[in-house]
This record gives sequence, C-alpha cells and structure tokens, in this order.
Amino acid sequence: MARSYTGGVHPPCRKDRTCSLPIERLPAPKTVVIPLLQHIGATNASLVAVGDRVLLGQKIGESEAAIACPVHASVSGRVTAIEKRAHPNGREVLSVVIENDYADEVHPSIEPKRLEDLSPADLVTWIREAGIVGMGGGGFPTHIKLTPPAGVTLDAVLLNGAECEPYLTTDHRIMVEWAQDVVLGLKCLMKATGVARGFIGIELNKQDAIAELRGAIANDPNISIVPLAVKYPQGAEQQLIAACLGRRVPKGKRPVHIGVIVNNVHTAQAIAASLRTGWPSIERVVTVDGACVERPGNVLVRIGTTFGDILAARGLVGEPHKLLSGGPMMGMAMYTPNVPVCKCTSGILALSRAESPAAEAMTCVRCAACIDACPMLIYPTLIAQYGERGRTEEAEKYGALECHECGACTYVCPSRIPLVQWIRRAKSDIYAERNRGS
Amino acid sequence: MEIKKLLVSSSPHVHSQNSVRRAMLWVLAALAPASLFAVYYYGAYVLLLLVAGIASAVLCEALILKLRHKPISPAFDGSAAVTGLLLALNVPAGAPWWLVAIGAVLAIGIGKQVFGGIGHNPFNPALAARAILVVSWPARMTSWVGPGLVSAATPLAAYRAGNAVPSHFDLFLGFRPGSLGEMSVFLLLVGGLLLINLKIIDWKIPASFIGTVALLTWILPREGQTAFFAGDPIFHVLSGGLILGAFFMATDWTTSPITKRGRIVMGVGAGIITAIIRLYGGLPEGVTFAILIMNACTPLIDRYTLGKSFGSVRGAA
Amino acid sequence: MALYGGQRKMNDLRVFWRGIFDENPTFRLLLGMCPTLAVSIAAGQGLGMGLAATAVLVASNILISLLRSVIPDKIRIPCFIVVIATFVTMVDLIMAAFVPGLHEVLGIFIPLIVVNCIILQRAEAFASKNGVWRSTLDGLGMGVGFTLALVLVSAIREILGSGTLFGLEILGFWQSFEPMGIMVSPPGAFIVLGLLIGLINFLSLRKA
Repeated sequence: MARSYTGGVHPPCRKDRTCSLPIERLPAPKTVVIPLLQHIGATNASLVAVGDRVLLGQKIGESEAAIACPVHASVSGRVTAIEKRAHPNGREVLSVVIENDYADEVHPSIEPKRLEDLSPADLVTWIREAGIVGMGGGGFPTHIKLTPPAGVTLDAVLLNGAECEPYLTTDHRIMVEWAQDVVLGLKCLMKATGVARGFIGIELNKQDAIAELRGAIANDPNISIVPLAVKYPQGAEQQLIAACLGRRVPKGKRPVHIGVIVNNVHTAQAIAASLRTGWPSIERVVTVDGACVERPGNVLVRIGTTFGDILAARGLVGEPHKLLSGGPMMGMAMYTPNVPVCKCTSGILALSRAESPAAEAMTCVRCAACIDACPMLIYPTLIAQYGERGRTEEAEKYGALECHECGACTYVCPSRIPLVQWIRRAKSDIYAERNRGS
Repeated sequence: MEIKKLLVSSSPHVHSQNSVRRAMLWVLAALAPASLFAVYYYGAYVLLLLVAGIASAVLCEALILKLRHKPISPAFDGSAAVTGLLLALNVPAGAPWWLVAIGAVLAIGIGKQVFGGIGHNPFNPALAARAILVVSWPARMTSWVGPGLVSAATPLAAYRAGNAVPSHFDLFLGFRPGSLGEMSVFLLLVGGLLLINLKIIDWKIPASFIGTVALLTWILPREGQTAFFAGDPIFHVLSGGLILGAFFMATDWTTSPITKRGRIVMGVGAGIITAIIRLYGGLPEGVTFAILIMNACTPLIDRYTLGKSFGSVRGAA
Repeated sequence: MALYGGQRKMNDLRVFWRGIFDENPTFRLLLGMCPTLAVSIAAGQGLGMGLAATAVLVASNILISLLRSVIPDKIRIPCFIVVIATFVTMVDLIMAAFVPGLHEVLGIFIPLIVVNCIILQRAEAFASKNGVWRSTLDGLGMGVGFTLALVLVSAIREILGSGTLFGLEILGFWQSFEPMGIMVSPPGAFIVLGLLIGLINFLSLRKA
C-alpha cells in the first residue's frame, strides 16, 4: 500500500527520457567556477590566492560562521581569478576560478576511512570537513542537521528518494546504480546520530530502485523501504515525514523537533563515497533534459562545471526558452548558461517554449483548486489576494509562513495566477514588518 | 556558451491543462444530455429557448465588457454560455423566448457584470435572474406544460395539492412536466458525476444538499399532517430542481465556499431551506431561493470554517 | 470689487446647480434613500414626494438661516427639528386638503419628511452658516435635485413595471408588452437606484 498525504498534484512525470540511461561521467572542463557559497548559511572565505596551484580535493573555502560548510577544488590547476560570478541562486557570488591542468593531482590529505573506526562525533566532523550539504536542492549543511538542539531525542533517519519533480532522475539512477553506497550512507547517518531506525521513502514509479535497495539492505531489520504514492510534492520534507512516519512537523519547527532527520539519497551516497575514497564533495550527478537537449541523461560532473559546458557536451536543439537549475516545479530560471553546477544542483533543464508556455494571469474565480492542491493545507488564493494588497496580517492568518513554495497551487490554477510569486512576496513583507517591529 | 533571450520567471515552470474555458466547456458538455432530453420531450421549440439563453448571455457579456473598455475575450470563455444555458434550463417549456433572453441579460448584467464580472459576483447569476423573472412574470414562470406544450402541473405542485404524482421511475428518467433542465434525473446525474470525476465540482455540496433534503423530507411531516418519519424522501429528491441545483448551481465556483467544511455547511444549509420551503412554504419549490440565500452566506461560511493548516498540530509553538 | 462680485455671482449659481448635479442628494450624497426607495413606484408619486420635500426644504432653510444667530449651538438639532416639523405639518395638511389622492398614496412618508436626512443635513451644513438668499438657492437646488432623482427612478419603475408614465398608457402601441412585476415591488427600487448610482459614478469616473 503506497503511503501519502492530503493534497498534492499529478504533473506528467516526463522522466522516461532519462530514467533508464546509466550515469555517464563527463570529462572535467577547462575551467571550473567554484562558488564559495554552495549551501544555506554564510559565504566562505577563500583559502587560496590568485596564481596559487591547487590540488584535487584541496579545501579552498572555509568559514567560522555557525552555519557554513567548506568547499574544495574539483580539479587540480592554477587559480586564475577570485571574483563575483553568476550563481544558480540568481545572484552573483564570490567564486574561485581554477584553470584545469588535467593532472588530477590528488591533495595529500586525502585518504580512505572506515565507518567502524569513526566515533559518532568523528563522523559529524568528517561530514563537515568533506563539505557535505543537502544535495536534493536544499543545500543545508548536513553536519548541522546531525547536531540536534539540546533536549531533542532523535529516533528516525529518513532518506528522501521520492524525487517527485518532473524530468529529474538523478536520485533514481543513484539508487539503482549505487544502492550499496546509499545504504552505507544511511548507516553513517544512523551511527552519527545514534538512531536505530532508518527509512528510505521511494515513489512507486521507481520499482527498479526499490528492488536494488532491497538487495543492498540485505534484510537489515533496522532499515525499511517505504513505497510512496506518485504525487507531487511527495519529496517535500514535511510531506515525506507525514507519509512515511505519520508525523507532522509543527508550524515554525523543523523535522528535528519531532525526532526525525531527513536527507536526500544523493547526500547519503556522497557521504558513503567520501568515506570509501576519502574525497570530499567535489562531484555530483545532474539530470540534463528538456526538449532543447539533444542527448538527455544523467551526468556525473565536477562541481564548478558551468551549465554551458554541460549543454555543449550534450548538444542543443533549437533555442531554449527557459534554462532551469533544478526541476520545473521549484527550480530557478537562469538568465545565463554561465552558471556553475553547485553541490545542490539536481538538474539542468533547457525547456522549449511549448514545454513551458507563458500565460497571462486572470481573475480568481474562487474554484479552490489551489486550496485542494496545497499539501500544507493553507489558503494560497487568499494569501495572494491579501498579500497583493499589503495586508500582511491576513496573509499570515491564512498560512503564508507555512508555504514551502512547492508550486502545486500555481500548477493547477485555471486562471494562471502566479500564486507562489505572490505568496513569496507576502512572506518577505511579513518578515520585513517583523524586523521593523523589533 | 551564449543563449539569447532566456526567459526568467518565478517557479513553477510547467502548468496543468486546467483553465476556466476548459472547465466551462465540460460543464456545457455535462448539461448537454439533459438539455437534449428536454428538446426530445417537448419538441424543437425548446431548442430556441436554449439558443436564446446562451446567445443573449454571451452577447450581453461582450457588450458590457466593451462598454467597460475591457478585453471582450472573457465573454467567450464559456462562463457566460453556462449562465445562459442554466437560465434557459430553469424556465418552463411554455415560456416565451423573450423571457429567456431578458433573463440571460439580467443574469449577466445585474447578476455578474455590475459586480465586476467573472469571479466577483456574490450570487449565482442564473439563479439571481431566475428569481427576478419569477417575481416579474410569475404566471409565465409557472406555466408548466407537458409534451406538445399542453398545460400540466409539476409533480411538486400536484403533491402540494394532494393530487397523484408520477412514479419514482418516471421521475428518475424525466417523463414529467417541469423546468427544461430539471426533468431527467438520470441524465443530470451522468453529467454531475462526470464533473465530479473531472474534479471540476466537489462532491461535498451535492451530497450534503441532497442528503439533507432527503433526511428532512423523510422525518418532518408536511403541512397539515402530524406523523413524523412518514415522508417520501425519494419523491422529493427526484422531483423539482434539486438535482440540477445541487450538482450544477450550488457548486458554482465563485458563489460557493472555498473551504472543505464550508462546502458541507453550504449543502446542509441549502437542504434545510429547500425542505422547509417545500414542506411549509408558500411556494412548491425552494431550490432557487435556498441556493441564493446560501450564496449570501458564503463569505461568512468561509470565515468560520477555515481548516487547520498542516503544521497546526499539538506541540506547535 | 468687480472680481469679487463676479465670483460671488458664480458662487450663487453654483450653490443652486450643485444640488442638481455635483452634489445631487440622492445619487451623490446618498441622502434621503428611504423615500426614494419607498415612494418611487410611479412617476406621479415621485414628483409629489419631491415637491413636498422641496417645499419643506426651502422654507426650513430660509427660517433656519434667519434664526441662525439666535439658535443656541448646543440645542440646534432640536431647534431644526421643530422648524422642519412645523413646515412638514403644514405641507401634510395642505396636501390632504388639495391633493387627497396623492396624500393617501404617500401616506406615512409625508410626516416622515421630518426626519429626511437631506433637510436636516442642509439645515446643519448650510442654512445655519449662510445668508437667507444663498440658503434659499441651496434649498431650491437640493430640492430640485432630489425631485429629479425621484422622478427618474420612479419613471423607470413605472414604465417597466406598469407600462405607463404619470399614469398615461405610453406603451399602449406595444400590444404584447408584459409589465415587469419586480419593478413595482421593493427589490425593483433597489435595483434601479443601484444601477443609476453605478451608472452615474461610471460616467463621472470616465470624465475625470
């Protein structure tokens, strides 16, 4: 029986072009652009200077801030610039540009580790040093998730293999091809937090992934696979927890407050791989798809490879109408292909006009489709209408701050109202008002 | 690499096939079987009434939008056509065509456009216009006829007068006098269930509306009688405009509550009013006024039936 | 001096005209809704009601303007009411004597002119602060504006609801005309008045 939650929508999956193709490794590019901010938190300071030679896996960015995570060189070569460059988050971020010398000379600090040798505290430290952040798209530093606030008892680690975004098959391929690593990563997370129970939630449209993982778990009684209904946004943290464990995260709290830690399967795989090889997080799998991509598929690329390099390698058909970082429901539209792949870039979609048609917004007809679709059970159209008029008090009352911007409401709206956009504005207005008040 | 003219916009970047036009075309399709049955039962004259309703509504909407210096394309999104058709389905077969045309103009003009057009009307436009027609031309609006346009009493009027009423089976199939669109319960159910299946309407309003009418007409004694639990709920469900109203008019997007619980309240409220008018009121039928009264209550219902959000659980800060 | 005089003359005219258009009591100030809704079934009624109110309005404006320096500020409203009630009683009796038919149709709404907002508002807002001449013009303008509005509403209702105008069968040539019953019932008054106010707002917004 597939587990699920209330609300949600069923956009066409559009995963069939890439879901059965094996992951391909792309050759490292001539130059990589490594942003010093690839996570939620503070921007790192550069540890290198222009002209320095850096080695593969060398730490090049670090920060003293409470929420931050180091970044590493993904090629060996010379630093040619440290400057602000376009970033998938839409802004410009201080980045280290490295000219690849194709020597792939490995930094001496890199040596494999064994899970058995590490204490939970060592594991958390290692996960931070390896620069592991949430690779599903969130980019929250993993070591911080693993350090719960005082007074909280953790009792479950949840791996998110739902991958409900259309087009994306990154997690799907990782679970099929690297099932052992995914399970090893889960065990690392369980050991690091001292939690006995592990769950892997997977949407039912990935039967091969479920089969592979069942094999990799090898009857470990502490790990269960939870088959999930195919529904967007099944992979949203709150909905995933509700579907797998039947618990709800209270308003304004995080999953850790109800004893749960959620990580993406790619994050788990990255932890396992970094443990096995000793390498930090310097590469990731990205789905390249969209009608304008000639050879769609999943590619393993060095962090810092630009979208343009990847699209050039896979071929373009016609002029893309939109270039997305991430999936079509929550991804960001890029204004230039010269943005690098970050640790949290799950997909590069070059969409044609027909795939992503623009339409003019019309009046709300009170059909309540957005309300029925909302997985957070809030009132998108009311928030949008009050938010539009600057009435933040009402916008908050109807649930603005609970919105995680999954886009289900906008997807179903028959009047094509950009509800998410209005809700985002209402949220920032509410926060701005609070800051003024305090 | 350079790509010219990349569009930057807010997520999501894909959209469902939902549109107002698509929904309205489905509503027209769902009403088509019952409408065609009326043409078959009463004759081709009925076709004139249906066309008069739809054409007047659409033309009136286009004209008013033009006068308001708005784009006139919304007049052809199907919502005006649905209003016009519903109005035509709410008059007796013996009604003159001008009555339907005036009604459609009133529905669009006074029922919809004066409030700002689609999405802003507080009352179901077709029913508001029907109410005006009933008050204005009461004789015309109650000149019920049978096949061949011979004068006949509706089942509810016959019931009230204590006369014989058609069998439940005839009522279900639609072989009885009545307003054009209310006759064939069977065909209306086909259309209504289609709309529920397409998620264009919510099952909660028709289910609670019809259920409440059935329950009350079974429990309560009609005027002049004293025995409780002696009513004929099946007769009440099958006769009058209950099925048409519950599936196609009480569920109108703009004028019904947007909260899930609110839709139940709307259905139960309309059911209570309908049952009371039918059993004790001055008119044989009460669906129109029941829905209009609940339309007026919709903003209040919405306000007091807000559901709890996902994160409103115990332990919330 | 000449400029002042010119302005003053303009102002006098404006005092009269604004009651008819810019500050029409019914359509712009939304005053006196009660008689407008209640006695506008037929144009004749509307005209009678309007003229009766105008008579009271002009007379009370004149008297209140004359007494404005004597009326103590604290009890001015009761004083206004007494003045208005006096004229209303006179009008009521005069109408009962000379137009008994109309008097009977208008019924309670004649005595109710005492509490007609227009009259009290003009007394309070204008007559108690201005001279006799200007108060007369103001009362006349407001009264004519009110009468025109009433006649307009009631004419529409009478034509659509009964097919007649001032009791004349003006739609007699149209054999198949069937009167629209709602127009002679209370909802019709709300619909016609609402649409007229909306139309006037719409037109003046477009002009602006």
